[in-house]
Amino acid sequence: MQAGSVDNTLSPHGGKLVERLADPAVARERLGRLTAIPVKDQTARECISIAYGFFSPLEGFMGRADVDAVVHRMQLANGYVWSIPIVFDLSEQEIAEYGIRAGDTVLLTYQGQPLATLDVEEIFDYDKEEMARHVYGTTEEKHPGVRRTYAYKDRFLGGRITLVNEPVFNPPYDRFWLTPRETRQRFEANGWKRVVAHQTRNVPHSGHEWLMKGAWFNAEADAILVNPVVGEKRVGDYIDEAILLGHDMLRQAGYFREDVHTVTMLLWDMRYAGPREAVFHAIVRKNLGCTHHMFGRDHAGVGTYYDTFAAHRIFSEIPDLGIKPVLTLEWWYCPECAGIAYEGLCGHKDKRQAFSGSVIRSILLDGVKPPRMIFRPEVFDVVMRCADEYGFGTPFVTEEYLRNRRPVFTLRPLDAAERRQAVG
Amino acid sequence: MADPAYRINVWINEERFARLQNSPVADMVREVFAGLKVIEVPVSEEQKDRILKRFPSAKCDTATTRTIELLPRAAKDLLFNLVAENRSVEVVDRFLETVEAQP
Repeated sequence: MQAGSVDNTLSPHGGKLVERLADPAVARERLGRLTAIPVKDQTARECISIAYGFFSPLEGFMGRADVDAVVHRMQLANGYVWSIPIVFDLSEQEIAEYGIRAGDTVLLTYQGQPLATLDVEEIFDYDKEEMARHVYGTTEEKHPGVRRTYAYKDRFLGGRITLVNEPVFNPPYDRFWLTPRETRQRFEANGWKRVVAHQTRNVPHSGHEWLMKGAWFNAEADAILVNPVVGEKRVGDYIDEAILLGHDMLRQAGYFREDVHTVTMLLWDMRYAGPREAVFHAIVRKNLGCTHHMFGRDHAGVGTYYDTFAAHRIFSEIPDLGIKPVLTLEWWYCPECAGIAYEGLCGHKDKRQAFSGSVIRSILLDGVKPPRMIFRPEVFDVVMRCADEYGFGTPFVTEEYLRNRRPVFTLRPLDAAERRQAVG
Repeated sequence: MADPAYRINVWINEERFARLQNSPVADMVREVFAGLKVIEVPVSEEQKDRILKRFPSAKCDTATTRTIELLPRAAKDLLFNLVAENRSVEVVDRFLETVEAQP
């Protein structure tokens, strides 16, 4: 198949689902001889996502040729569309202290435990301002993606990674963690051939619910995959537990039938790259086996950096990804229609009552229970339970939550991982 | 204030609504979203900038609603108290005086 051309709809991006997992017993044999490098949260999450194939066709962290192609042409060096650099950064001093050279294999550790090996194929530097300008369309540090880019250390290590220690997901995340292979197996077991993905980092209000229902109709889909991103949080965000359990409640409470809706999670640190992030989301959900992906207004945007519908237009500017974008307008409450109405249908635009995620959060912050028309009471109740159980009294991220939250996953000592595999 | 640049929505539950009885502000309570009561506190451009500086976690939705959202609960309680005590929604200057005087 020619790089950059269309895959058959359900194949992973690049044609093959990447899985880079080592047998723990074999891995432990080698690990004692490798230089151990502790990695930050983002790198650990990306190692896991690469290893299970969420980022297929990536097999590791990008080298210079891939980064350069992504930055300037929004594709990998081999021609496949890719929009966000996936890089592993270290300082020159750290590289010298660890004695790392191209050709070495090193051990990446997290939580004090082995995580993955990295076959270091190259060590390079890259102009971070150039990266930011092309990926985010701005070099302003107040853009969170730009800030993340500038925070990278001065060298990047490219090369394949192999997961040597599979993460154990803690409750309630364990209910929502499925690898791409397992997600595809769930689709197959349920007989779902057309699945539309919903990207979110919010507890669902009725606007989200109707966005999903509209996309389901539009795509003539068998089902909806709700796939919240779980990654770095900022004070004021909803806590991850409330997002996952709130979405799951929409199905449990019957707003979606059991056989048309499922919730899983994605380990990813939002870049807020607007249209480029929309492309990234489409690729990842294609790797999960989705055939369609919904994109609302201002998808993955921040502030006023991107035009409201930039994420809609970009899909007509790139090669067909093999996952169809379902482009939607706004849903609002219309007092004339006496219900939730769609911008493309409702003729009372001047009377609309728009409710953004921020408005809903503002209502909850005031300690007021929203009407069921715009926020389902069952979702409200589960969000408040999450506040007590996981959020130190609030469903919103606080400094205390950031310091003391329960970890999403845990890495066990490798001998425990071996025993787990043997039992499994 | 005519045609304010921005607004802060103060959402009204039963307890807050009871405090507004016999106040002219009660007539300014609107119902939105099929039954949710709200008072809109007008905010000028200059006041908006001061509020966002004092409360970095707050957000101004300039695209959709032109409202300042995500003020901390304590700040919203203070704002409502000023509305109730002053029997007016023109309270943002006093609100800012109070919060800017705090450490």
